[in-house]
Amino acid sequence: MADDVRVFLEGSITAHTAAPIWKSALAALERNPDRPVVVDASRLEHVDNVGLALLFDLARQERASGARVEIQALAPNLAAIVQRYDPRDFAAVPVGRSRIGLLEQAGRATARQITYLRELTGFIGACVHALFRARSRRFVKWHDALDVATETGANAVPIVLLVGFLMGVIIAFELGLVARQFGAVIFVVNGGGVAVLRELAPLMTAIVVAGRTGAAFAAEIGAQKVNEELDALSTFGLDPVEFLVLPRILAVVGVMPLLTVLADVVGLLGGGLVMDSFDVTFLQSYTQLLGAVSAWDLMLGLIKAVFFGLTIAAVGCHRGLATGSGATAVGQSATHAVVSSIVLIIVIDGFFAVVTS
Amino acid sequence: MRPGIAISVRNLRMGFGERVLLEDASFDVKRGEIAVILGGSGSGKSALMKTIIGLHEPMAGDILIEGTSLVSASAVEKARLQRTLGVMYQGGALFGSLSVLDNVRFPLDRFTDLSLPEKNLAARMLLHELEMGHAESLMPGELSGGMLKRAGIARAMALGCDTLLLDEPSAGLDPVTAANLDRTILSLRQNLGVTFLIVTHELPSIFAIADRAIMLDPHSRAIIAEGEPTALRDCSSDERVRQFFNRRPDPLRAGAGP
Repeated sequence: MADDVRVFLEGSITAHTAAPIWKSALAALERNPDRPVVVDASRLEHVDNVGLALLFDLARQERASGARVEIQALAPNLAAIVQRYDPRDFAAVPVGRSRIGLLEQAGRATARQITYLRELTGFIGACVHALFRARSRRFVKWHDALDVATETGANAVPIVLLVGFLMGVIIAFELGLVARQFGAVIFVVNGGGVAVLRELAPLMTAIVVAGRTGAAFAAEIGAQKVNEELDALSTFGLDPVEFLVLPRILAVVGVMPLLTVLADVVGLLGGGLVMDSFDVTFLQSYTQLLGAVSAWDLMLGLIKAVFFGLTIAAVGCHRGLATGSGATAVGQSATHAVVSSIVLIIVIDGFFAVVTS
Repeated sequence: MRPGIAISVRNLRMGFGERVLLEDASFDVKRGEIAVILGGSGSGKSALMKTIIGLHEPMAGDILIEGTSLVSASAVEKARLQRTLGVMYQGGALFGSLSVLDNVRFPLDRFTDLSLPEKNLAARMLLHELEMGHAESLMPGELSGGMLKRAGIARAMALGCDTLLLDEPSAGLDPVTAANLDRTILSLRQNLGVTFLIVTHELPSIFAIADRAIMLDPHSRAIIAEGEPTALRDCSSDERVRQFFNRRPDPLRAGAGP
């Protein structure tokens, strides 16, 4: 018909060539809203699935009666495919995941943390219960606990020594710079010694262990959950908490005080080295230290280390057991374990500071 | 359908480290053909597919994609050749942080100039074809194993590649879904001239769609049979081949219980 608009499709229409053809075909339809459009496919040689999508898109255009789109001379097999699709199935615009506002995000995050703390408390209770049950059946897996202690403790010694030493050096140096102004350099030993024993050594050791071991626990147990190994354990009547979690908690609670003692020693040594640069000899530092710190300062640090260790292991294992599905789940569990552990460690440290003040 | 060879494997030797899985293997996949690679567990089927795709370096031999050597290609040329192949991995290998629709649209986003509505339509039509239209907004973590595979196939098809390689596409699918998938594969070959190389040992699918079967054997580390599946099942001179295609168990040793 003389009134027809003709759109010619020719050659090959594929994912790599369709863009300009699609654009100009739709533009032709837009320029002629009231005229019938004939899409001439007689010289069309090859299409792929994107070419089919183009043909279907042209065929499904809603236009006024008398101005419809007709595809002519399309190969029968391709025409059959295009006709098989129902435009109603593709009418809705794809819905993306809706974004929530900042305030709502903050509220949801707070609610999640509160729920998490409640679950964690219940989990620790379940671990204690599992410990008593295992003891009564003489089924504590000490061998596994020893393996974990080797990996967590022995293999962490080099980094704890390094971090502890540097921490002692830095704190002594910073305090020394200030104290020198007041001629009170010798008292850096007092402040630094107490700080290392009560706070810095247990805290820095806990942060190192949280990053190293807490993440590993979450990832190991998380991967086991994704692989359905935990389901397999349950099928055998074995409690994953008794089997996997208890040995890890016992190991970390056992090695944390030992690592903290190491951190204490190298921290104080590092401080002593710095004091030497401020013309306070090792002997003088040692004598001053003995008078400044008490056994309680050391014990407090070690008690904190036990609580920190319990937190790190419990959080890591809990995050692992709560791992979701999919490739990103295990990584997320490990990340959450580290962040949650560190935050809780600081909170517990603050609690001790208040209680022991 | 253009005549010619889509994939050519020449004197291929492949394996992991010092462990050789396949020695001196040669075969061609013609354009428009549906070829299946099959064999017992550990025969190297998936490893062979990954070598053909270019993910593993062969120990010796060559692989030609549309006549161009993959082994001696530069990094840029190799990437171009790999993009001409649509690949579905055994577990789907969807990107976990993207929805199903975004996963299928991913190749179109990266390698075409189509507008968003055009890409969405092309992707949704593929999902619809694979009975995944209802799942387009779901995340991979929310899908069953069969759904992951079907979404993976849709993504493999997104760029309209002339050759598709599918690793165990119907494993884990229910019989009806597997039959629908077989029908889709045949339709793509019939209507769009797509070439298929499929790793599978699902016998119903093999007999339904395969033009040619290539059978690997882990013990001899070689191709021990190549031909039309029904002919191999009925007429092969190799008992291992007839046993596989007829799904017969190994004979019991004398004195063993039932």
